[in-house]
Amino acid sequence: MKRKIILLTAFYLLLFAIWEGVAALKLWPSYLFPSPLGVLSSLVAGFQDNSFTIGILVSMKRVLIGYGLSVAGGLLIGLAIGRVKVLDETVGTIVLGFQALPSICWLPIALLWFGLSESAIVLVVVLGSLFAVTIGVDSGVKNVPPIYLRAARTMGAGGFDLYTKVIIPAAMPSIISGLKQGWSFAWRALMAGELLYVSIGLGHLLTMGRELNDISQIIAVMIIIIVIGITVDRFVFTKLENRVRERWGLLNA
Amino acid sequence: MHLEEVRKFDSLKPERVIDLREAICPHPLNVIRDTIRELGDDAVLLAISDHEPTALENAPRFCERRGYPYRVIEQEGLWNIFIQKIEKKEARLRVESVSKVFSARDGKVSALSDINLTIRDGEFVSIVGSSGCGKSTLLNLIAGLDKPTSGRILADGKRVEGPGADRVVVFQEGALFPWLTVVENVEFGLKLRRVAHKIRRELAYDYLKLVGLDDKFHNSYIHQLSGGMKQRVALARALVMEPSILLMDEPFAALDIQTRESLQEELQRIWVESHKTIIFVTHNVEEAVILGDRVLVFTKNPGRIKSEHDIEIARPRKPGNPEVFLNTKWITDEIREDGEDAEAGIREAAG
Repeated sequence: MKRKIILLTAFYLLLFAIWEGVAALKLWPSYLFPSPLGVLSSLVAGFQDNSFTIGILVSMKRVLIGYGLSVAGGLLIGLAIGRVKVLDETVGTIVLGFQALPSICWLPIALLWFGLSESAIVLVVVLGSLFAVTIGVDSGVKNVPPIYLRAARTMGAGGFDLYTKVIIPAAMPSIISGLKQGWSFAWRALMAGELLYVSIGLGHLLTMGRELNDISQIIAVMIIIIVIGITVDRFVFTKLENRVRERWGLLNA
Repeated sequence: MHLEEVRKFDSLKPERVIDLREAICPHPLNVIRDTIRELGDDAVLLAISDHEPTALENAPRFCERRGYPYRVIEQEGLWNIFIQKIEKKEARLRVESVSKVFSARDGKVSALSDINLTIRDGEFVSIVGSSGCGKSTLLNLIAGLDKPTSGRILADGKRVEGPGADRVVVFQEGALFPWLTVVENVEFGLKLRRVAHKIRRELAYDYLKLVGLDDKFHNSYIHQLSGGMKQRVALARALVMEPSILLMDEPFAALDIQTRESLQEELQRIWVESHKTIIFVTHNVEEAVILGDRVLVFTKNPGRIKSEHDIEIARPRKPGNPEVFLNTKWITDEIREDGEDAEAGIREAAG
């Protein structure tokens, strides 16, 4: 662990130094190749005038609404097609088909339906992540060992209890990987959507950077997007995943 | 005829009198059993013997377990056992002409054919047979996890239509829930019954103690337990539901010999203490003999009950016991004669 920290620190310091060195050579104009210090000052300035903070909050609000809807919808659809054969054979094919469609392809329809509005962006986020969640839930439900259901039924479980107390917990490892994948799709879909029209969020800050020829701001916003993506992945999903794996004894397997 | 009216031997008017001295069958208890069966539910039977001390000793116990009231009358140096079958009391379980046919790719497979079986309260019945003889199928039908093709099953007089907590199953392995701790697994069924948290936790502890699981494993997850401990937890999870019939589907088959023997001992102790009605399916003849009051031997193609053996050996029974060995050998030989694979039973009994 200690070794890893030293290694990583050394690597990033080196990268930073090389980057600074190359920038100092002034091989390219500074509006094409920013220096790391410039990016840093952009970051600080962005937070000082609150434009980054507002961008982050706006984007987070959108992704939370969109992702939340996806999780709710994905759970319902996933359970339905995982348990009901007829639905699997019909609705299941639609899910697989739409999963192949890049989420940004929903934008034209979203704009036609909702115009340049919050709803349009949220719709893109929902449709970008819904199917990943659905597929995770579906495959988890399909792979619940039948013996769990049999055991639960002989103890008197039926109907709703069977879903909340057996099927969902038993499918949890797969549901969590669906949620994790859904999150990363939601985040990507949001950025793509925000890039394409004026919208205040982080994606819009990228567009603004381009329009102002401010490459330092672009890189600074990119770093924020990466950090948010990784933070949620590490501190929410990886933690959840580890907890489930520990319970199930999958860590050492 | 009322039992209290019986004062003297001469005053009895039995349906049938058997003089065990004339009985050709080797085991007098079999004569008693067969006669009761032949005469039906309202039979009155009198058995007389003056030279069958074993039968005299065992007959009362035998009757008690089957739910027949009995009376021993002494007269002129003769011991007479008066037996009357209970009429009113329902059997715990009644399997009536049950058949089960599975559709397979190459036609239909008759898994069970015309099974008739009555199990009384507090009886421990072992079902033994080679794989594919339908013994587990029958257990599934009794549990309500599957439906018979024809015939019917009555549990406590009510027709079995589906699974229910009055007939809990202990499976071979892998039926505990990995997302719950040991205690939470045992509480599972109580939670379904909406039993208050405090009460169900206490019950769970009680039953974990009953099956002999060390306290320090209460909050462990399932993967942290050994195979034997898992089966103890599975047993506690079933017993805590207070089922009227406990169904066990080869619960010890996946365990090593030492663990299996200690669980067999534990199960006998629990049964003696609780007098639960237990149906225990196994492919191991010795295990069937050690555990059961009655061993039903199944054969396949089609699956049916080939024979029935009453095991009259004092408990606790252990694998080294010569009587256990002999009974195991008889049953195994019988299975073998039938051209069936006796499987592990005799080998393990010998080893």
